Amino acid sequence: MNGSGRRFAAGAQRHDAAIAALGVAVAARVPVLLWGAPGTGKTSTIRAMAEKMGWPCETVIASIREPSDFAGLPVVVGDGVRFAPPGWARRLAEAGRGLLFLDELSTAPPAVQAALLRVVLERVVGDLALPDAVSVVAAANPPEQAADGWDLSAPLANRLCHLTWDIDPRAVADGLAGGWAAPAVPDLPGRWEAGLGLARGLVAAFLHARPALACAPPSDAASAGRGWPSPRTWDMAARLLAAGDAAEAGEEARSALVRGSVGEGAGVEFLAWLAEMDLPDPEAVLADPASFVLPKRGDRAYAALAAVAAVVAADPTPQRWVAGWQVLGRAASGAPDVAAVAARTLARCRPDGTRLPEEVKLFAPVLRDAGLLRG
Amino acid sequence: MNATVPGLAAGRVWAATRFPYLATGLFGTQVVADPGIGTVAVDEGWRLHADPDLAARWTPAQFGSVLVHHLCHLLRAHAERAGPAGVTQDQARRWVRAADAEINDDLVPAGLELPGTPVLPAHLGAQPGLLAEQYFTPRPPRDGAFRLPGQEEAGGWDLDCGSGADGCPRPWDGGGAPLAPWQARLLARQVAQDCLRHGREAGNVPAGLLRWSDELLEPAVDWRKALAAELRRAVADTAGAVDYSYRRPSRRAAVAGDVVLPALRRPVPDIAVVCDTSGSMSEELLAVALAEVEGLLRAVGLARQVRVLACDTAVGPVRRVSSARQVELVGGGGTDMGAGIDAASRLRPRPAIAVVLTDGYTPWPDEPPRGMRVVVGLIGDDAPEAPGWARAVRVPAG
Repeated sequence: MNGSGRRFAAGAQRHDAAIAALGVAVAARVPVLLWGAPGTGKTSTIRAMAEKMGWPCETVIASIREPSDFAGLPVVVGDGVRFAPPGWARRLAEAGRGLLFLDELSTAPPAVQAALLRVVLERVVGDLALPDAVSVVAAANPPEQAADGWDLSAPLANRLCHLTWDIDPRAVADGLAGGWAAPAVPDLPGRWEAGLGLARGLVAAFLHARPALACAPPSDAASAGRGWPSPRTWDMAARLLAAGDAAEAGEEARSALVRGSVGEGAGVEFLAWLAEMDLPDPEAVLADPASFVLPKRGDRAYAALAAVAAVVAADPTPQRWVAGWQVLGRAASGAPDVAAVAARTLARCRPDGTRLPEEVKLFAPVLRDAGLLRG
Repeated sequence: MNATVPGLAAGRVWAATRFPYLATGLFGTQVVADPGIGTVAVDEGWRLHADPDLAARWTPAQFGSVLVHHLCHLLRAHAERAGPAGVTQDQARRWVRAADAEINDDLVPAGLELPGTPVLPAHLGAQPGLLAEQYFTPRPPRDGAFRLPGQEEAGGWDLDCGSGADGCPRPWDGGGAPLAPWQARLLARQVAQDCLRHGREAGNVPAGLLRWSDELLEPAVDWRKALAAELRRAVADTAGAVDYSYRRPSRRAAVAGDVVLPALRRPVPDIAVVCDTSGSMSEELLAVALAEVEGLLRAVGLARQVRVLACDTAVGPVRRVSSARQVELVGGGGTDMGAGIDAASRLRPRPAIAVVLTDGYTPWPDEPPRGMRVVVGLIGDDAPEAPGWARAVRVPAG
């Protein structure tokens, strides 16, 4: 029982997921923003990542720059004016790849945030377009933790995938003792974008069901500075889902990426909808009880069986009622208690004059044990 | 699903029938048989470790009740809350007792039949309906030092609830894939939705669980955060209206050669605070809100520009204050915030932002004031709505 090493297991898992999600976003070239308290190692993690991958990393602190540093400095050339890119942009363009790291994004004044819009999404600085292989990563302190913080403007927030950077005591302890582990950027297989079609299809199907979530700018100032649903962020979410699948990132990382893109509310709804998609359609199961396969996880099994019992109860014809029992019978060996709860629903809606099917007997012992069956 | 734990199926059916709104969560916990651990415990990965010998001695109702009890540890995230509550390893036991009390206070009356004597708030000398953080005292009370051994355990049970209740790892943790934190949250939301639906339809869900569901699905926003965000936005919108000016040379003039570039000028917003001092206002809350506004303005570097107007039906004299304590809340009687806003907009230099602190029982102008943003702090629990053109933040009592 000793050792604070394994304490806060959930926090550690979230931190690992945030690092994995960061890797996926960088690999997919989606601009990403890490939110976390000052001094929690955001900057060092990003630098270590670039070093490990052997990429050049240009750090630009947005709060001490002027808008023209991102829009290009005007230079008179002959009888025209050119917008010359600053040194960091030129170095990245020459290297052909690398990380552009925008630090302290939330302390950048609104005018600088406006100038950053094109840099973040289109990677254009002045007259210079950065190569496609350049990834944009940003870090910010929540405004309530930075002395002179601003909320991110809604248009800039909408161009980034927001990841929460939780402190993990375990990683701090390990890092102090043995150096900080550098997160790796996963190698996406060359054809990963093939999965993009499927991911977009899923998002489209979800938005068909919940059209209100296609574009929903938040009304209060604080949440406008985080991810919120818009056509752009939904596309971003689809891209990250496909990349996450290709990189075999865990469930936790995928959910962090989706919630980071479209915001907590819409993200949760989308993920819940995805989970529901895996459940069999109760009407289809009733039409062909032999096809029913019991989901492995107990709560999914319960959801599937409860749905079957509920649709039978809504329209209890003798045929459907018997089919319902056949489904429960198939589940009885794998999950007798789960099926027994659904069986009680079914038993209450017995159509007149229907003979009790064989399967009822399967549940008698467990219901009797639980004191729910007399005799 | 695990045949090696006797009575599990019957216990779960009992629990799912007695507490149908928790069924999804009950079946979502994965059961692992761990002979010889001498307890039934949960870990943070939603795994339930059960000693078959112990479980065999329980009735289905007792086993089912333990399942519900442990599920509530997971739903209420006791393991995750232990750290922020300042619980250390040697206080873990006291924390678990506090967590038990949070669960049991309304589930035992609702029909939980736990083996042994479940911990109730009364055993901790507290009122029911509180949270574990409130039940938890880091150290036993002074007079506890003179208690006989075993007396402190009054209303205790010898069951170790596991790492799912206090976050300290147990030797038996593991076995089977844990539920990812994300999936656990999705499951908890599902249970919360079931609770609310069941509460609406059947109406027999314990109040504590309903409160938990409400808080999980629609977390209350801290008004300080909301007010800070609205103020920062108002300041940013004004200060962000950066414009170009040829009055001063640009910092970039050196690279521009003969071309004259404009410099950027950034307006510094001026702020007026209008305080409702009518008889219906709670003076204490007003002082709290005012202090908060002042702190925020100081944080964005604008504290010196604040002017405060006290207003009931008429507007008192304008005062520049450096501390919230200097505001005299004279007045009483009726209220008209319109007069206060109007007076603020006629100040020179004209404030860019007006913060109105009021209980809301006031007529408002139909139109927003010209060239001035209005942020309204609605003080008190049942303040009426502010007009649509103002940004409003509710400041609840307590």
